[in-house]
Amino acid sequence: MRKTYMVVMIAALVAIVGNHLTSPSSGRAVSPEDFAGACAPCGAPCPVKK
Amino acid sequence: MSTTTISASAPAAPRIDYLFVGAAVFATAILIALVLLDGQPASAALILGGFGLGVAFLKAEFSYTASWRRFLTRGEAGGLIGGLLVIAICALAVVPIAALLPNFGGAIAPIGPSLLIGAAVFGVGMQLANGCGSGTLYTVGGGSGRMLITLAFFIIGSVFGSLSLPSFLALGGVNPILAADYLGPWGGLLATLASLALVAAIMAAVARQRGANWRPSRTYIIGGIVIGVLCVGVFLVGGHPWSVTFGYTVWGGKIFSALGFDFSQAEFWQWPGPKRALTDSVLTDTSSLTDFGMIFGAMAAAAATKRYAATAWPPFKSLLAAAIGGLLCGWGARIGFGCNIGAFVGGVASGSLHGWIWFGAALCGNLVGIRLRPLFGLSRD
Repeated sequence: MRKTYMVVMIAALVAIVGNHLTSPSSGRAVSPEDFAGACAPCGAPCPVKK
Repeated sequence: MSTTTISASAPAAPRIDYLFVGAAVFATAILIALVLLDGQPASAALILGGFGLGVAFLKAEFSYTASWRRFLTRGEAGGLIGGLLVIAICALAVVPIAALLPNFGGAIAPIGPSLLIGAAVFGVGMQLANGCGSGTLYTVGGGSGRMLITLAFFIIGSVFGSLSLPSFLALGGVNPILAADYLGPWGGLLATLASLALVAAIMAAVARQRGANWRPSRTYIIGGIVIGVLCVGVFLVGGHPWSVTFGYTVWGGKIFSALGFDFSQAEFWQWPGPKRALTDSVLTDTSSLTDFGMIFGAMAAAAATKRYAATAWPPFKSLLAAAIGGLLCGWGARIGFGCNIGAFVGGVASGSLHGWIWFGAALCGNLVGIRLRPLFGLSRD
């Protein structure tokens, strides 16, 4: 189990760092709710347009 | 002989697993350094907030899944009431600030079939998985191999949920209902606190009627206060209540994209928030930041007291339950607008009616999940 954990952790960290370094990341951290029209934490729109 | 007796009965000193404490601290430091290099101290604060939540959840053994099960099977309400304490503390900040200050918002969601179905499915899943969104994070961090399986399938289910959500939204519903919109910020706060007190009183009454304990343990009270304060901190830094499962959806979306799946025709991934999350760095998503921090915080806390991840793998049936439960949790969380944290804690703490509706539907799902547990060799208690 310890070896599995170490492998998973290293793979996850490499993936996170790799994704960060190869993706746009100039702005502040946001949640989908920060965008106009979002009606839920995942950014889903409202059933009835406001 | 007496020496042997004394040494056998003496409490064992905590053994620090330096390898994994070091790994957790190193990984946290790397992530903090990366966001600070981008000039984002708020992101660093969210990682640290998640780290604190991981430590608090692990040390208090704060489990929504076990608390709900104890209430439904034995009538014990202490754990659930401890969970309500977290929400009450969070509501003190979220309801008025979200109503009064720009750049802050509560956790809201539409009310309709999607919410009900998603929450109920999530409730089934959390009992099979033996953990909800936050529970999965801190037990994965705590060294449970079983919960690694749950997390993997939680992520997969979450991606399936992202593809299903637009169809379920099309079934209809009404826009979010916020107490503060009708009663003002302070009236909304009073109504939220009153609803929490009412539900706590009902739970205590049920517990008393069943001859069970209704008082939260001292550990749960302290843990609840610490978690509640950290929730407020995450809200003040991130601008929205703490959420967990959107991060899983983003991770899944990125992994599936890397494997060649094309989400350009998927409606969910064309909404502005998910679209940006899929293309931008994972370290610009608020829920991912706290999620990473929580895993590493729990890992550091667990490894600081014992040899880390030293238990054997559980039986196959238990792993199967973890996989099925994870899938259901992931799918249900996306369809139902979150987990215990994002939908229940965040929703109720925001004075949003969907939080209580999610709670009721998830409680029904928990009843089903508890009945299914013995099929996988898991105890109903």
